[in-house]
Amino acid sequence: MALLQEILVPLLAVNDTTLTVVELPCVAGAAVKKGEVILVLETSKTSYDVEAPVDGYIQYCCEAERDYAVNEVIARLYSEVSEASAPVPGRPRVAKPVVAPAINGQQYAPSAMTPPVQSRRAAATPAHWGGETLFSYEAERLIEAAGLARETFAGRDLVTGADVQQYLNPVAAPGARMAAPTAATPTAAALTAAGTATSLKAVAPVDPSKAIVQKLQSAKRREIEYLSDIQSTGLTSTLNTHIEMEGIFPQLNKGLGYLKDSLLPVIVYETARMLAGYPLLNAYFTGDAVAVYKEVNPGFAIDIDKGLKVLKLEGAGGKSLRDIEADILRLSGAYLDDTLTVEQLTDITFTITDLSAEGVAFFRPLINKMNSAILGVSAIDEKLQRCTFSLSFDHRVTEGKYVAGFLRELKERIESYRGDAGGFYTDISCFKCYKTLKEDLGGTGFVRCITPEGKEGYVCQSCLKGF
Amino acid sequence: MLNNRIAINHRIIREALRIRKVEEKFLELFSQGKLNGTVHTCVGQEFSALAFAGQLKKKDFIFSNHRCHGHYIAFTGDTRGLLAELLGKRSGTCGGIGSSQHLCHNNFFSNGIQGGIVPVSAGFALGNKLKGTGAVGVVFIGDGTLGEGTIYETMNIISKWEIPLLIVCENNFYAQSTPQHINLAGDILARAAAFGIRTDRGNTWAPEDLMIRAQEAIDYVRETSRPGFFLVETYRLNAHSKGDDDRDPAEVEAHREKDFLQVFQGESPAYFQMYNDALDVEINTLVEEILQEGDLAAEDYYQHQPTVTGEEWTPLEAINKRQVELLNAFFRDAIVADDRAVFLGEDILSPYGGAFKVTKELSFLRPERVFSTPISESAITGISNGLALNGFKPYMEIMFGDFMTLAFDQIVNHASKFHHMFNKKVTCPVVIRTPMGGRRGYGPTHSQTLDKFLVGIDNVRTVALNTFFDPAVLYRSISVETHPVIVIENKTDYGKKIAQQQYPNFVYERNNDAYPVVRIRPAVSAPTLTIVAYGGMAEMVAGMLEDIFLTTDHKPELIVPSLISHLPVDLVAGSVTDSGRLLVVEEGSGFAGIGSELIAAVMEMTHGGFTARRVTAYPVPIPSVKSLENSVLPDKRRILAEIKTSFS
Repeated sequence: MALLQEILVPLLAVNDTTLTVVELPCVAGAAVKKGEVILVLETSKTSYDVEAPVDGYIQYCCEAERDYAVNEVIARLYSEVSEASAPVPGRPRVAKPVVAPAINGQQYAPSAMTPPVQSRRAAATPAHWGGETLFSYEAERLIEAAGLARETFAGRDLVTGADVQQYLNPVAAPGARMAAPTAATPTAAALTAAGTATSLKAVAPVDPSKAIVQKLQSAKRREIEYLSDIQSTGLTSTLNTHIEMEGIFPQLNKGLGYLKDSLLPVIVYETARMLAGYPLLNAYFTGDAVAVYKEVNPGFAIDIDKGLKVLKLEGAGGKSLRDIEADILRLSGAYLDDTLTVEQLTDITFTITDLSAEGVAFFRPLINKMNSAILGVSAIDEKLQRCTFSLSFDHRVTEGKYVAGFLRELKERIESYRGDAGGFYTDISCFKCYKTLKEDLGGTGFVRCITPEGKEGYVCQSCLKGF
Repeated sequence: MLNNRIAINHRIIREALRIRKVEEKFLELFSQGKLNGTVHTCVGQEFSALAFAGQLKKKDFIFSNHRCHGHYIAFTGDTRGLLAELLGKRSGTCGGIGSSQHLCHNNFFSNGIQGGIVPVSAGFALGNKLKGTGAVGVVFIGDGTLGEGTIYETMNIISKWEIPLLIVCENNFYAQSTPQHINLAGDILARAAAFGIRTDRGNTWAPEDLMIRAQEAIDYVRETSRPGFFLVETYRLNAHSKGDDDRDPAEVEAHREKDFLQVFQGESPAYFQMYNDALDVEINTLVEEILQEGDLAAEDYYQHQPTVTGEEWTPLEAINKRQVELLNAFFRDAIVADDRAVFLGEDILSPYGGAFKVTKELSFLRPERVFSTPISESAITGISNGLALNGFKPYMEIMFGDFMTLAFDQIVNHASKFHHMFNKKVTCPVVIRTPMGGRRGYGPTHSQTLDKFLVGIDNVRTVALNTFFDPAVLYRSISVETHPVIVIENKTDYGKKIAQQQYPNFVYERNNDAYPVVRIRPAVSAPTLTIVAYGGMAEMVAGMLEDIFLTTDHKPELIVPSLISHLPVDLVAGSVTDSGRLLVVEEGSGFAGIGSELIAAVMEMTHGGFTARRVTAYPVPIPSVKSLENSVLPDKRRILAEIKTSFS
């Protein structure tokens, strides 16, 4: 007869203080096996299966399609079916402030790092001594004065005056002088999650004779919540620029394996490198400050019949074009196979949305929650050989001039992939000072020579003549 | 006609300009408040860096000083790591810990202590010689450093032991602000020549000649495996650090005019401009990139590790051998079996075998690994540090504990700091052994216990031997330590046998920690008095436990730590919780001593509720005369009196 386990709403992503229960796969009171899926939850990004941690009988404390705060109990597992079937005690369903164990702050606090003091006496069982008993001079004196027999203390190793007194007067005898230290009560700063999520309230009236109400899917509700965060302030703006595309793909395709004629990998590659230099675009507005992300993790938006999602290209700033291409393919595959993990959907610091396949001329992308900017890519105008890049940004974080600088540099970088001539002389350099022919200002060129290692090479005029 | 003797070319000039541009960038960033701390630039001295650091092989090594940026770039080529280091970023060559003066990257080391790097570099070079790698090393000092004595200790040794090290003295004629004529007597090269070291000189205004002579000096050191000393005359065109320049502006200007890069700019303005512009772009791009980076996280630098004393206890076993015999037996095994082992110390060659015979006959077993040294504690500690950095396990003996003060700079500013200040890239597993303590009548300078100074050195373990178990147990743990260890041996314990006297009503045991704690406790009773003593004092207290019980009416428990830099506070706190009384006995004087630390730590852990006392040496030099020596150092009479009066 026991409660085996309480199932709490897990913290899956820092942004999600509540999760939606979407499915209760078991019958209430049913026997479940360890590892069996007993609940399906939905975060703002993906769905999450809760598995039974032990065998038992399940009692649900939640309903489908409702939101529950992180750490709230949503199910219990019991050892007996009768317990699981008992009525669920009523509890407020509204997300309330939840106390979660502190996860930070234990590092340097001396009281927290001190292990508890171990007293041996507390744990020791009374031991018997088979050897000779030794009496202190004070003990001898007291024994004699009281006329006690020494054998009274047989089985002890050492007998002090205090021991004799305790024998004579058990109540008043002095015990250990020291009280055990009070157990440390680490009421560590408990983390209080402000658990109320933005709630959508109906504000527009509906006349059932004129319109049919379609309930919002929870994914859409979250999308609205996500985009409202920044857009609802109205303090956003979008800048556009044209990118000249003539001759870009023959050059670009050389560096790509599969995504031929696609701009996305190179946009991710260049953007990720540039964001380190434009920290305010890799940041977000906190309400009274700007939080700048330490890492650059751009995400790209995708929507192919599985809902709009933004997938994270982790550490793209340090990756090669080929690796980025591979990441895009891998993540897109996971999206289509429904195997995305929470990690692949969270902590995105900048978003890229590519609508080039949709034939749009230009558009205003909407900035995601906890981002300060989003880059939109429109379709290539085949006639003019150019396409539009649109960058929406949170004006509370930065301003137009800064973003214009970013767009200009991005334009230059992307356009630099349009091949040009040159590179003819690059492989000719002085074997001594490594100066290339291109760098040579002497005007007389290099001298072809045999190096001391017996190889053919070139030597520049200054190395030939010396200083 | 191609002249292969031409040593200066555009590549070298560009490198010199790179060094200068990077340092000018540092000054600019400093003035903008983006650079924490300070910088010492070598503007004007760049060709010295290129002539030596730039002409070494990859396997060679460099030790440098506070003015090290040029040497660093010339040897490692790692401009980015240097920039990030000074900007205090995680990607800096030492994670921003060391900054300008404390760099470490691929056999390049620098430290901000004048002179101290010279013996360390000698030790590193000695390591290369023992390994037979054919690698050589350069240590850069300045003319100001010539005032430091450890340099001369080291020059004597490198010449005598034929260590392949090239000392490059960059003479810029000023020691910080003081002109050379005020501080420097005699002749610089004559100082090195007096030790029988090959000397040469050059200057940075004739870089062609300097490059060629530098190469010759390096070749000499490599080919003969002997040391060299090279004096480079040069001039720094900037202040010592930043604003601290009182030199005659006309003098600075005259040197600026003959500066080689200045001359090059005049003669080849187009090339100069091209290189200058390219370097501007390169450096500015790097700086912009680096400024976006984050700092090293505090928890990546330091995390507190609580002391947890093991609670598995093993009975003590008597060994019918003297401690010194057991020590000698361990070292005999080590010198044969451990290829990293090197022994250094004064008079340690056999047949003498050291003042206390701990190293007896080691030099018969493996003569090339035993170095009987001159009386140069600073240099031999530094050499041991260098050997340790180079992968060896040096066991160095300081003949008397009192002489540790002569080695202090090498322990505090070098051994203890290398690992952290180089952001954990290196370890320095040096072992410094020394006999400490009195009761032999040696008087004020050969009897004092200096342990409290040693346990105050962060990141150095201090171990004190005792006579309760085989010291090989401790030395086996020490032999696998990756960080510095100081071993306090006790002069009077050397001749004693192990765990000889055991009272029947007490249990004698030690735990299984790497540095075991010994506990002697009443067989079954809970203690009513906790005594902590270590080293020689532990032996004395152990011998009076029965007396303490009989005459003071207390059941004593004696706890004997062997790792005295990390005391078993939890164990002592547990015992004190039962007994309510704590007595610490130590042979050093009491103010800010081991007992102060222990009582404070136990108080923190238990929140008080006990009585504590210390019995320590009086704060005066140890007298030679026996009666006075016995009254200055803690003795049985004083310990018993303290227990009776304080814990009645």
